[in-house]
This record gives sequence, structure tokens and C-alpha cells, in this order.
Amino acid sequence: MAEKKISVKNLRISFRTSNGKVQAVRDISFDLYKGETLAIVGESGSGKSVTSKAIMGISAGNAIVENGKILYGDKDLLKISEEEFHEIRGDKIAMVFQDPLSSLNPIMRIGKQLTEAMLLKNKTARKESRKDMSEMLDAMKRKMDDAGVPDAGSYVSRFRNMEKTHAKLESSYTDALELAKEASARAENILTRLANDREMVPSGDMGGLAHAGKGSIDYFVVRDRASEMKAAADSLSSLRREAIKTGDNTKLSAAVQKIKEIADEAIAFDVPNTFTLGCYLTFVDKEIPKTASVAELNKLTREKADAAFITEFMEQAQKGVKQSLEETDNNRKAALEALRKELPVFTGEPKREDVTAAVKRLKPVVAKCINPLEVVKDSITHTFGSSIDYAVDKYYSGIENNKKEELRYEKQKRKHDALTAKGKAPEWSVIPAGLVDVDNLRSDMEGTITELIMHIEQQIEANRATNVETRTLEVVDFMKDTEQRAAYRITKSVARERAIKLMESVGIDNPRRRYKQYPFEFSGGMRQRIVIAIALTANPDVLICDEPTTALDVTIQAQILELINRLKEERHLSVIFITHDLGVVANMADRIAVMYAGKIVEYGTARDIFYSPAHPYTWALLSSVPDLDTKEKLESISGTPPNMIYPPKGDAFADRNKYALEIDFEEQPPMFRITDTHFAATWLLHPNAPKVDPPKIVMERIAKMKAKRGESNE
Amino acid sequence: MSDDKRDNDVLLKVENLSMFFGKGDMVKKAVNDVSFEVRKGEVFGLVGESGCGKTTTGRTIIKLYDATSGNVWFDGKRIVAGTKSYYDEIKAQKARRKQLVKDGGAQDQIAACDEKIAQMRAEIRKAKYDHNHCDDDFRVEEKKRIEEKFTELLKDASPEEAAKLRKQMRRELKVAAHSKLVTQIQMIYQDPVASLDPRMTVREIISEGLIIQGIRDKKYLQDQVYEMLDTVGLVHEHADRYPHEFSGGQRQRIGIARSVVMKPKLIIADEPISALDVSIRAQVINLLNELRETMGMTILFIAHDLSVVKYFSDRIGVMYFGNLVEMTDSDELFRHPLHPYTRSLLSAIPLPDPDTEKNRVRIRYNPLLDHEKTDEEPQLREVCPGHFVRCTEKEFIAYRKQVSE
Repeated sequence: MAEKKISVKNLRISFRTSNGKVQAVRDISFDLYKGETLAIVGESGSGKSVTSKAIMGISAGNAIVENGKILYGDKDLLKISEEEFHEIRGDKIAMVFQDPLSSLNPIMRIGKQLTEAMLLKNKTARKESRKDMSEMLDAMKRKMDDAGVPDAGSYVSRFRNMEKTHAKLESSYTDALELAKEASARAENILTRLANDREMVPSGDMGGLAHAGKGSIDYFVVRDRASEMKAAADSLSSLRREAIKTGDNTKLSAAVQKIKEIADEAIAFDVPNTFTLGCYLTFVDKEIPKTASVAELNKLTREKADAAFITEFMEQAQKGVKQSLEETDNNRKAALEALRKELPVFTGEPKREDVTAAVKRLKPVVAKCINPLEVVKDSITHTFGSSIDYAVDKYYSGIENNKKEELRYEKQKRKHDALTAKGKAPEWSVIPAGLVDVDNLRSDMEGTITELIMHIEQQIEANRATNVETRTLEVVDFMKDTEQRAAYRITKSVARERAIKLMESVGIDNPRRRYKQYPFEFSGGMRQRIVIAIALTANPDVLICDEPTTALDVTIQAQILELINRLKEERHLSVIFITHDLGVVANMADRIAVMYAGKIVEYGTARDIFYSPAHPYTWALLSSVPDLDTKEKLESISGTPPNMIYPPKGDAFADRNKYALEIDFEEQPPMFRITDTHFAATWLLHPNAPKVDPPKIVMERIAKMKAKRGESNE
Repeated sequence: MSDDKRDNDVLLKVENLSMFFGKGDMVKKAVNDVSFEVRKGEVFGLVGESGCGKTTTGRTIIKLYDATSGNVWFDGKRIVAGTKSYYDEIKAQKARRKQLVKDGGAQDQIAACDEKIAQMRAEIRKAKYDHNHCDDDFRVEEKKRIEEKFTELLKDASPEEAAKLRKQMRRELKVAAHSKLVTQIQMIYQDPVASLDPRMTVREIISEGLIIQGIRDKKYLQDQVYEMLDTVGLVHEHADRYPHEFSGGQRQRIGIARSVVMKPKLIIADEPISALDVSIRAQVINLLNELRETMGMTILFIAHDLSVVKYFSDRIGVMYFGNLVEMTDSDELFRHPLHPYTRSLLSAIPLPDPDTEKNRVRIRYNPLLDHEKTDEEPQLREVCPGHFVRCTEKEFIAYRKQVSE
């Protein structure tokens, strides 16, 4: 089974309103697998958008998450802080909204809207990486000092200098290689057009080629031919003009051919090892040595760099890493003891003073458990302080709130009873007391501590098995990456090129011209493409589409669906697709969850839902859409969804359900398992229930689809 | 059905209707030379992607825009008449005359040109008159009809009855004095939220049209409102609520009640279900279907959802960039789509069937590739009885061959 990307467990969300608590989402669970599309289908008000907004962390202000977990990676999205969410929202999980007109800024050019996030994100990422890098280096220096390495400071500063050179080389080479590839592709395209039609190539395309060609001359292997490349790229526009005037494009073709040759030559070479080269340039020689091939160059620089600095540095760094590991090990053991000692404070009915005092004592001890030379930040230890504070606060405020609520309820009830006793019928009703489960909150508080104890035990175990040498390599690799991120600068022109590429990939013609336009100059489908492109700028793994095609017509809808499908394949996205139209999702959904009144009533693969629907609500949804052969009266769902302030006792759909059994009004049906992938919550699946067939219209349609499939199989 | 009978049955006839926006080089041809007929009691579906001019066609018919050229005949009367085609003709004739004079052409030819110009000018006058005064004529006719009806009745009535009848006649004459031909065409709009005035109660919304017609009788208005609420499946208590208190489907019902209360002969439904939830869509479609059966309503149904249009319409016209490209019975259209654009539209319909959906190949329509390049302006031609396709002569022959196979 594929990897789970997002896993929602027993999620329960309600909204505080002046009339009482609206239970929008009631106990839903589903999994989103990597590279799959999960469709959430339901009427408006069924809680599908509330769920998706909870995943994005943009729930409305009056939303209360009562219970449940949304696991993404190793994080619970309902518990993490807003700062942590900044790294996930948009970066990892992106969203496409329903109305493309209102989700774009009308007074900003499309290009600006596309690049804005890239530039801002890059700026903060660089700042953070720089901070991380200097923290890491400081820690390294401290630990090396502790381990008794003489002159630790100079090692660290030399390493940093070398890394700077390395990062600069690396980024300029990758950019240039990219551009060389682009130049080659563009040149080929232009050449075929020049050869076949003898038609003149538009200046925009020529400009693109010239840009790519000039950008790639930094690529050091072609430095010999850099001047040739530059000359050819510069001459393009004048040659084009000349060709238009004379009608003869041989010279132009030759120039384009030249660019292609040089670019191809550059691509054919191996990528040099920029790390050793960086080291060579820092400590050995300022000039890049002349060698016959890249492999030889790599060998040469490796030898020289090792001799000059790297071997020595690694030896000393190992000492520091070892020191740090030992220290944290001891600290952890001490922390474990302290935690175990304080644990009884949190059981029973603890007093607030005791608990806060214990927390105050624990915090510094736990903070010491963090190994400063850790590559993977261990989030549980890091967030212990804030999460325990949060849990404690929630518990005591919960107790207070319960007292207040009870008082209010009593008072209101008294008033109501008095009025009814007088024979009046008050227009208002008594709002039920919104009590919080205090026991649950207390166990949360205790759970935070026990979780940490288990976690530290595991870590001590893991440390025992660690090899200092590999650990040192990891640390150095990590520092390399961090420096790289700090040096990776997205300038406006880079962002522009990337935005244009994105626009091309979402199917916008002539992106260079479109880049400068305003949203109102685009049609509905094009606008939705732009919105999708913006969502993709940060390369997310999960894309949430909230009714992306509802505002669009059939042909455009088909195009957008195809686009989302294609992007899913290309970028290995996992997609959550929210819609009220079952017909739309047949094409793209791998799994479908049908929601009604805040509950998932049926969950299964697309084939399960379409070929063997089990819940009456799914039947109703399927039969209320006419297909191309429908002639008889449509089966509409009568009535309206229930008021979720007072959710019905039994099945929420019972009132509107033609097939409702008596028990449907009494008790909520559990999720019945039909197959391993197919679940439905309806009493009709109970072994004692009468056998009921789906409505005729659905049966006929399924029979027809089966017949069609049979034909195509033969 | 014979041809004569067909003509008698036609309620709405759109003739070479064009609606251009802008002037000079910036002219946008939203509707370009569209012709079709809607017969009494049928539902005519108009489909096409957004921006193809289907809504503009609807609005031009109901005189929300002044047509550029072409005519719309409603119930045998010309209600919309554009003049551009006549002016163009005059221009052409004038140029021809100038050329003839310069070349020293025959006198009778010049005279023919003059005559033609005069004829066109007369046409323009007539068109302008019809366009602006069709309601006046209608009023006069209505008045005459009512007077005739009552003189007949008054002839052999007792004095008390006569007094009653006179009162009724006065009321009907008052209504007739305010009546317009165009009010017999009503519209249902796409967005039920935006099309209802948030500051009016349902009663006010539904009775507004009647009040504008001059009806002041409170009892009569109330009866009408209640009757309409019953018809569209709402209860009488709803009359004093405001639109925001209703769900989307109920709001759309109010919109339908507002147009049906005018007892229109034709309803133009401009994407009435696009903004609604799937479960509510079925309710609204069923309601429109009932109305059509019980009240014998004729409906011009504008939509982009082809499966709904197929389910609901008797005949369908497909529009592409202001042109009607194909028009035929709805079954025929789905069985034998001829125009490449229609085929691309049909291939884009999502179906609730995962297996066929995964293998679906969408046909793309590219007007430059799918038609052979000619100078000939394509025209709407009848390929087989009742099936019209916009095509060139050569394509026409190819389509005919395709149909006979």
C-alpha cells in the first residue's frame, strides 16, 4: 500500500454561534495516499469545505476543534503553532479555491501574483538558513573546544569560507546548466520552424533563446566558447530583422545552430564536483585548473582538497560530534529521571501551583536533552515547553469555563421554567451548556509527559547504535545543504523565468505576453489555470481543490480536470478534490468519500462508489443528475439538510430517506464494512435489515455501464 | 407535420439576428447572423461555452439590448428589428451607383439603384417603427379585443350584470393600457442570490410585475401570489419572508414564480441551474418540467451543461463564437453530431462511470484545423430534415454523405 500523506482521524469540528453550537464535522476519518486523488462529495453545508480548511489551518475564527487528529508526516496539524504552519501552508499543502475571479487580486499583474510568493519565501528561507548555519557552526566550535581541539575557531571559519565558495559555484552551475538545456530545446524548435515553413519566428521566441544562451555561458566547461555563444546570442535580433527584410534566413539559422551546438556540448559534459572544487579554489589556487575532462578535474581537486583541509577538518569535527553525543546522552538520562519523578504531580486532581512549579523545573532539564549537532530536529523535545504550557492552560481554563457554563445554564433554565410556568411561551430556547471534557484534557497534559519519556528512551537507544564517523558526515552534509539554501537566491528575473515556465505547464499560450496582464484580461478557465499555477509555485505535495470547476462550463471544466490530472502525474501530487457533482470525479478520483451532515456516509474507491453504491444518499446523488439517456422524472432529494445545532438522534439522512428503517430514527448507524476498501454507514447493510435495491434509475445506469465495460473488454 | 402547420405553430422566430458591441475596429460580434424558430410548447436549448453569445441572444430577444441587425418575430409580430443590414445595403448601392455614373452606365441600372435605396430607406423606417412601437400597436389591439368582447357580452345582460361587467371591463382596459408585448416573454436568471432584491419580501417580488401592469386590487394580487407559491412548491407563509431566509433552490423557485405570474407565453431561462447544488438542480428541473406540462409553457433554455439540456430540451442549438453551428432535435444531435465543435462539446461531458471516464478522449476543436481553408463564408444548411449545420458547400456534401451512411 502506498504511503499515507494525510491521515484524518475522528475529526470533530463545531462552530460557536449566537444560537448555539453548530456541529459541522462529526467524527470523520479518512486517509490520503501519496499520488492519489481523494474526492470529497456532498451538498453545500455537509462539512466538506470545513474539513479542507482545517487541513489548511484556515478555519474560521469561531471554529472549535473538539476532537481528532490530522496527521501530516510526523506532525498533527491541529496541534502545531501558527509559525510551524507557515512552513506547511502553501509550501507543502496548497489550495485552489472555487471562484477564480475572487481568489486573484484584480489590481495586480498576473506575473507579480505568481512571483510574489517565490520571492518572499526565498527571502525568509535564506534568512533562516543563514541563522541555522551560524548556530550549527557555533555549536560545532563549542563542542570542539570542549573536546580539547586546539584552535577550533579557525577550523570552523575556514570551513565556512569554503562552503560559501562551494554554494556560489553550485548554484551558478545548476542555473547555467538549466539554461543551456533550455537554449538547446528552444534552438531546436526554432530551427525546425525555420527549415519547414520558412516562416519568420516571432521576436519573443528569439528573445527567449538569446536569454537562455547568454545565461548558460557561465557554465564553466564552455568558458572557452563563452565569447562565441555571447556573440551569437547578441546577433540574433539584428539577424532576424535582416532576414525579414531580405526574406533569406540562412544567416539566422546558422546563428541558432551555433547556439544549439555550444549548448549541447555543455550539456554533454559531466557536472564537476563543486564541493572539492570550492575547497580547491579557497585553499589551493584561485584559478580553475586546466584538465582534459571533468572526471580528471574532479580527481585532481579531490586529492588537493583532501590534502589541504578536508581530511584534517573531518578528524577534528569527529571529536566534537563525539563529545556532543556523550553530553546529550548524560543529559537525557538525567531528564528521564526528573520526568519520572514529576509525573505523579499530573495525576489525580492536581493544583495549578504544583503543576506550574513542576513544569518550571522540567523545562530547563528537557531543553538540555537537545543535541546541538542534530541533523533532524527532534520536534517533540523542541516543542515540549510550548505544548505542556498549552495543555496546562487548556485544562485549567476548561475547569473554569465549565463552572461558568453551568451557572449560565442554570440561570437561563430557571428563567425559562418560570416563564413557561406563567403560561407564556418564550421566543428563545435554553442553549445547552457547552461543557468541556476535563478528564480528557487532564490526560492530554499527562500524555505530553509520558510521550516525552518514551521518546527520550527511544533516543537513548538509538544513540547507542550511532556511528560517530557517519554522524559527522551527516552533520557536514547538512551544513553543506544549509549553506546552499542560504546562497540560493531567487532574483526577480529567475522568478520571472520560473513563473513563465509554470504558466506554460498549466497550458497558457504566449506566457511572456500574458505575464504582464491583469486578471480581468483572462477568461474564466485561464484564470483558474493561473490560480493553479500560483498554488504550484512552491512545489507542494498535497493540493486541495475546493470546487475548482463549479464556476466553469463543460469544455473548460474538462480542460481543468485534465490539467489537474496531468500535474498530479508529473509532480506526484496527492489531491483532495472537493465537489458536489459526482459526475465530475469519476474521471480523476481514486477514492471517494461521500459526506452528509458532517459525517462520511460512504467511503470507497471510485469503482465501489459508482458500480456498487450502498448508501441511500449516494443513490440519491447519483439519480439526481440526468445523464444522456435519462428520460423519466429525476429523483430529487426532498427536504433540506438537518439543522446542525440540534443534530438528529438517529441517521441524519433518515428524514429525507425513502428507504429509512425505524432504527434510522433511533440510533446512528455504524460504518459497515462491505469490502476491504468500501465502507458505508447505513442500517440497510445490517444482516437483519430487509433487502433493498437502489432506485431503478441507478440500477439501470449501473447495468448499462457494466454492459459497456463488458463490450470493451471483449 | 406539414410546412404550413409548422409556420402556424411558431411562437418565436429569430431571423439573422446580430448583436455587435463597440464601434469601428473594436467591434465585437457577440451574436452574428443567428436564425432559429421556437414552436409553441417546446423547449429549445441553446448551448455553448461561456462567451459564445448565448446569453446575449436571450437578452436581445427580450429587448434588453437593441439588436444591430435582423428581426425577432414573436407571436406573429415583429418585436425586434435591427437596421445595420439595410444601411449596409444602401452603402453598397450608393457605391455601385457612383461607379455606374462614372462609367457612364445605363440609365435604367442607375434608376434600379435609386429604387433599391428608397426601398431600403422605407425598410429602415418600418424597422424603427416596429422596434419602438410594437407595444403601442399591441395595446391598441388589446383594447379593441376587450371592447369587442364586452360589447358582445353587454348586449344581452341584465342591468346588475351589466354594471359588474362594465367594472370588469374598466379593469381589463386599464391593464391593457399598461400592457406590453414583451412582458409575455419572461426571464429566469442564473444567480438566484443576485437576481432577487434583498429588501423586498417574496410577496412584493412576485406581485411587482402585476402592480406595474396597473393592478391595484389587493385581493386579486394576494390570490395570484398564493397560487404561484403553490405552483412552485412553496407555502403561503413564505410570502412575507425575505430572500435571504431561503435556500438556493427555494430562491430559484421564487425567481421562477416571479416570471410565471405574468402568464408569459415564452420563458427565457438563462442558466437557471448552473449556480445550484446537484440535489437542488433536480428539484428545479422537475419544477420547470411540471410547469411546462401543466401550463403549456414554451421555454428557451440557455445552459452549458449538456446532459441537462439533453434531458430537458426538444431541440438544441449549439453556438460557437456568436454563430449557430448546429441545430436539430436533441436525440438526433447526440446520436449524429456533425459539426466538429459539437463533437468536441459532447466529448467533454463528464459521466458518472469511472472506467469509461478513464479512457475518455476529449476531442479538441480548432477552427483553423478542422475546416478546410476557403474564402466561402459558411452558412447554416439543412443536411437532413430538421438538422441544420453551419458549413460550406463542400462540407455540406460531405455531411450529407455521412448522414446517408
